[in-house]
Amino acid sequence: MFRSISKKIQFLKLLHQNPNPSGNSHDFPDFSQTQLTNNLNKNLSLLQDILGHSNDVNIREFCFGNQGKIKALLIFIDGLVDARIINESILRPLMYNSRFIDSGGKVTTDPLREIERSMLSVGNIKRINRVGDIVHNILSGSTALLIDSFCEAVIISTRGWETRGVQESKTDSIVRGPREGFSENLRANTALLRRKIKSPDLIIESRTLGKKTQTDICIAYLKTVVNPRLIKEIKRRLEQIKTDAILESGYIEQFIEDNPLSPFPSIDNNEKPDIIAAKILEGRAAILVDGTPFVLTMPMVLIENFQSAGDYYSRPYYTSVVRIIRYIAFLVGILAPAAYVALTTYHQELLPTPLLITMAASREGTPFPAMIEALAMGVVFEILREAGVRLPRPVGQAISIVGALVIGESAVSAGLITAPMVIVVAFTAICSFVVPALYDVQVIIRVILVILAGFLGEFGIFIGLLGLLVHLCALQSFGTPYLSPLAPLNPSGLKDVFVRAPLWLMSNRSRGMGEWDPLRQAFRLMPQQPEKDNE
Amino acid sequence: MKLESGKISGSQLIFLAMGFIFGTSDIVIPVQAARQMGWLTVLSGALEALVFAAIFTALAMRFRGKTLIEFNDMIYGALFGKIISLLYIWYFLHLASLNMKFINDFFMAIIYPETPLVVLMIFLTLICASAVRNGLEVIARCSVLLTIFTIFFYIADTLMLLKESDVSNLLPFMGISWRAFLLSSHRAATLPFGETVVFIMIFAFLNKHTEAKKINLAIILAAIAVSMVTARNTAVLGNLTYIVTYPSFMALRQINIGEILNRMELTVTIMFLSMAFVKISLLYYTTALGIAQLFHLRSYLPLVLPLGAIIIALGMINFDNTIQDIYFSANFYPIYCLPFQIGFPLLSLIIAVIRGIPKKEP
Repeated sequence: MFRSISKKIQFLKLLHQNPNPSGNSHDFPDFSQTQLTNNLNKNLSLLQDILGHSNDVNIREFCFGNQGKIKALLIFIDGLVDARIINESILRPLMYNSRFIDSGGKVTTDPLREIERSMLSVGNIKRINRVGDIVHNILSGSTALLIDSFCEAVIISTRGWETRGVQESKTDSIVRGPREGFSENLRANTALLRRKIKSPDLIIESRTLGKKTQTDICIAYLKTVVNPRLIKEIKRRLEQIKTDAILESGYIEQFIEDNPLSPFPSIDNNEKPDIIAAKILEGRAAILVDGTPFVLTMPMVLIENFQSAGDYYSRPYYTSVVRIIRYIAFLVGILAPAAYVALTTYHQELLPTPLLITMAASREGTPFPAMIEALAMGVVFEILREAGVRLPRPVGQAISIVGALVIGESAVSAGLITAPMVIVVAFTAICSFVVPALYDVQVIIRVILVILAGFLGEFGIFIGLLGLLVHLCALQSFGTPYLSPLAPLNPSGLKDVFVRAPLWLMSNRSRGMGEWDPLRQAFRLMPQQPEKDNE
Repeated sequence: MKLESGKISGSQLIFLAMGFIFGTSDIVIPVQAARQMGWLTVLSGALEALVFAAIFTALAMRFRGKTLIEFNDMIYGALFGKIISLLYIWYFLHLASLNMKFINDFFMAIIYPETPLVVLMIFLTLICASAVRNGLEVIARCSVLLTIFTIFFYIADTLMLLKESDVSNLLPFMGISWRAFLLSSHRAATLPFGETVVFIMIFAFLNKHTEAKKINLAIILAAIAVSMVTARNTAVLGNLTYIVTYPSFMALRQINIGEILNRMELTVTIMFLSMAFVKISLLYYTTALGIAQLFHLRSYLPLVLPLGAIIIALGMINFDNTIQDIYFSANFYPIYCLPFQIGFPLLSLIIAVIRGIPKKEP
């Protein structure tokens, strides 16, 4: 309690030092609520004050109208705008065509509207007079058109910057299924999603987060399927984020997740439109963030890590086998070194005698106990992996050769590590890549279990596993139990857990998420042979 | 002010109760005196326990949504109600410590002869404490998975032991006196089955209060499984069953299929440990919840770790060794537990009926 009080006092001190905690420095007045005046020069100097004199801010002054008497200016950020639109759809109609328009002496009630209607050949136009909004629009790639003696700016959407096109996803490659992945462009991403689900039910709501970065994010969901409480909860949590920067969806994930103290992720991410569409169709909600191909989906359950998009595109039999193999690989990934330590340290009688003799022979002369060996080899492997991840490919090969030869071969022949331990650690490492989404979790659990096994043998391993179970049973993600449909047990949900039932059997959406519209398809969809003609 | 906001469903209650009954009975059941008739005394003991269950279920249904601690006050008045509640809390705490001692004694005797008992106890208590802190829902969810896993193991073990078992070991039928038979039945009724009286604290958290009756189904299913295990042990071990300390464990040691699947006993200890975990967690939870309700605390969480320490300490001083423990379970426990399992519930029910409480809503 005293700690929290002292924290509060420190926070108050900070506030005192910086009387305006919202980030605006004191000598810089707040412009966000100021309105434009109808004096062009005043407006210009105001905007120049705000935007500073950065050299990517482009201010183009020009004149147009019948005799070229109307002064106007365009403000845009170089690089964020499509220069062609500005040249051909804004400047050309205004500067050339307007000379030939004869107003005929009649005065329109709303000249700006006339300009919008007859001169600017751009799709998205709006009028704003609040300075803060104008600046925000300019900074996100629009062009502001200010005309003398009008107190409103015409904001013309001219966004067009260099982006990566739709490319094959790097993190999640599958044998069968669509190859395209999301890119860094938010609009392109929502378009990819919209192309998968062409239903008016797909709602894409947007908002801006991050005081400095002003990142656009979108919440996408199916109106008729999703639980309205889920959307309300997501919005509530998003509103609580008060931070300077949202640079990637991971920032949002860490601010709104349910279990910040658990190694298990409670919000899933993916960069493939088909997977996100499938999750939205199951009754989840997705958060798309501008500037990253990784889209968040929630709620998340544990078994999602074991499902792959390819499971649903291929036929169910081999898929089910592969899925069971994934569970086995996960268990091996967390258990194998601990089991080996427990076997060699405490329960030698479980091994067949010839194997025991071989292992005892290899253990002879190695200096460290099995637990230390397992931990050390785990660290060595993590170092090798980390060294290989970020290196360019030609150098990466050198790392793998050094790792395989020096660590694998020489360490054994030098008598530092036993050969079986190298096998166990290598196999564990391979297994832990089978479920890549849980790789980090597996490493943490593995270390804990190895330590428990080193001290208490199989009792320690069981205690660790029971603790893991309790932890998993206690986790929730946006109100959905993390272990569902296993705990609480929901037999109809088991069609998609250990095996993948044929698609024509999966008529219901999984409970806990899509129960607002539980029916996915009609019943009795099993394909049948046509009835034979008896003629 | 709610101490427990979680709700459990009827099916979760069944698995929770089965796991609770398996808790110690998968290791040892005090029916060794019944010799070959052990498996039948388990079944008849379960019948006796069904009578207990009928009484405390009726009591819980009468005071729906209330736990034992709350309705004791209504029945006996503030002072006597509190005294009886305290006795019950002692019973749950004592049971938890007995089980804690028993399972860790087992591990010490079988695998870790040189490890201090208290180390094993601390680890198991910490895991149970984390389950208790997470509340009833989490214990129920864990129990469903663990109980299904255990039943699967029961069936698999029994199939693997078919080769080793000799049905003639189960003869003669009724080779013991009626007195010994009934005594053994009563032991079985009080040790694994009658202990389900602890659910009188749990019924209040059911989704639908009528599903409290499913405890009967749990007792019957568990009795069939335990009886099957007892019969299997006798069939495999023969006369050895009545001598060894841990018959189930000894029987599973005999598994030998093609010289590959042998010495499997270590892998089955996980089942013993997981069931003991369910049982201890539930008793531990009830104790914490009971104390919190008795003293009208806002939360039971501050009680969890101190209670864990008490369970460990009590477990350490309970008995010197397993033999004493089994002797106590067979000879004193059937009488010691009677007031809690049937005496107080029956008395409460009679008083409640006579006084006409709780008053019907007008």
